[in-house]
Amino acid sequence: MEVRTNGGVKVPHAEFFPPPPSPRAPSVWARRIAEDRRELVRFWPVVQNMVVQELRVRYQRSLLGFFWSLLNPLLMLATLGFVFAHMMKTVSNYPVFLFAGMVPWSFLNTSLNDSATSIINNEGLIRKIYLPKLIFPLARVLIALVTFVFSMAAMFVLLLAMHARPSWALLFLPVVVALFAGFTLGLSLIIATANTFYRDTGHLISVFLQAWYFVTPILYPTTEFPEGSRWLFRLNPAYYFIEMFQDVLRWGRMPEFGVVAAAAVIAAVSLGVGYAVFKSQEDKMVFRL
Amino acid sequence: MPYSSRRKTRWSSGSDREARTATASQMESPDARPLIELNDVSLRFVNYSDKQHSLKRAVLDLVLRRESVAPKSEFWALRAINLKIHQGERVGIVGGNGAGKSTLLRMLARIYPPSSGRIEIRGNVAPLIEMGAGFNHELSGTDNIVFNGAMLGFSKSQMLARAQGIYEFTGLGEFAALPLKYYSSGMYMRLAFAIATEVHPDILLIDEALGVGDAAFLEKAKVRLRGLVERSKVVIIVSHDLGSLREFCNRGLWIQHGQLLADGPINDVIDQYLARTTAQAASA
Repeated sequence: MEVRTNGGVKVPHAEFFPPPPSPRAPSVWARRIAEDRRELVRFWPVVQNMVVQELRVRYQRSLLGFFWSLLNPLLMLATLGFVFAHMMKTVSNYPVFLFAGMVPWSFLNTSLNDSATSIINNEGLIRKIYLPKLIFPLARVLIALVTFVFSMAAMFVLLLAMHARPSWALLFLPVVVALFAGFTLGLSLIIATANTFYRDTGHLISVFLQAWYFVTPILYPTTEFPEGSRWLFRLNPAYYFIEMFQDVLRWGRMPEFGVVAAAAVIAAVSLGVGYAVFKSQEDKMVFRL
Repeated sequence: MPYSSRRKTRWSSGSDREARTATASQMESPDARPLIELNDVSLRFVNYSDKQHSLKRAVLDLVLRRESVAPKSEFWALRAINLKIHQGERVGIVGGNGAGKSTLLRMLARIYPPSSGRIEIRGNVAPLIEMGAGFNHELSGTDNIVFNGAMLGFSKSQMLARAQGIYEFTGLGEFAALPLKYYSSGMYMRLAFAIATEVHPDILLIDEALGVGDAAFLEKAKVRLRGLVERSKVVIIVSHDLGSLREFCNRGLWIQHGQLLADGPINDVIDQYLARTTAQAASA
């Protein structure tokens, strides 16, 4: 009992569903990437529309409109900054330190949680019309990114009011944001894939993110820990990104080259793995909705 | 197992010959290659019931080193379909309920990837399969026109230029700024139909009779649909309305249990199909 596939190679069909995974030849991936780039250009207006729509619908007919998305992190930060400032006597200007870590983290948090359900929630679209599935997690990450950038802007206003002076290191901020967005997108692709096949993933993720948040030096500086055990933080991939944000935003200095390089490598690996995982399962997704 | 028998799918040789003669007669035309080519295409659905396909199960299977015992029912929606469709062909697909007609359309629209075999499509495809996909109920009519247009491959400015025509056709101009959730279902269908038919495709896929609005609109819709059919290079229609298939199409396909039973001039195929169904009805 055999089914003929592309190359005319006969394979027992029972083991393969959809088309057998293509050999990991680089040419296959080169072709996939080229094709995806073409499709992303073609469907870019769809992504744009999704992002704009989501942001508009979210704040439609609410009095403060977009300010809600700024108010929320600001209130959160103000409260935490006030409460923890008394405990964290070692860090001068603790609220700024807190802001520098928390705002990027909430971007990661939102992106991962939202993209987990991005495929499932768009079942109606996926089953009715052809769209490259990559655009669903991508749109979720972009929506989170826009909110992130706006929160960042609001944060600067607040910092200026607190007599913080901008430094030249801020010019490096776009690079940090870009690296962090790449890292986040890669993770989002993995989670979007996993959650489509195993619906438990979505619940696991929120628990996991909570734990991850506390082991990442966001609420506290690493200097709170004895010299000998600080290397443990370096096992946490998010550490490098948060470190860069804190360097640029809190300390007003360029991050160390080693940290930037590590972050770039981590972002690249995350993107690569995320893309490979997503693409290899993309065809099966429509059957698991 | 019945479907593994390759004999049954050998029907294709006949249509190949037809296709070849058709090609020979159109030798002068620069693009004689078929716009749609299906080689031995099969599609299998596997039903995993939700409970069985969970992370817990996967982990247990892994830990206990057992083969996945989750019983899964599989179902071949399409089996070894071979098909070539050339420019100018108007294909009508007939067959009973659940025969795989709509699945075939969805596969041509790239919604379902084939489990095996190869599909080649040359040209852009416009599916009129389920209209109103991706309508956002919170947004206004015009916003939805732009968004749907984007999915069909139009830029925002192109779509805004067409919006006027869409409103004239549907008579929904005064509701342009109203969120879609306040539309009546008739208005909704009309808008969806107008957007979906605003395209200039190479390949047009139509599923079933399109129930759109009141009688007056239905008449307008038919005219519009006919225009769309005329400017498409290839049209594939799935319908139970055999009369309009005879009228619209010049080639027929009969699908039964995911297999192609007949392929030929539309009237022959429909006659065969009718003969079989009436024979079955008589014997029953």
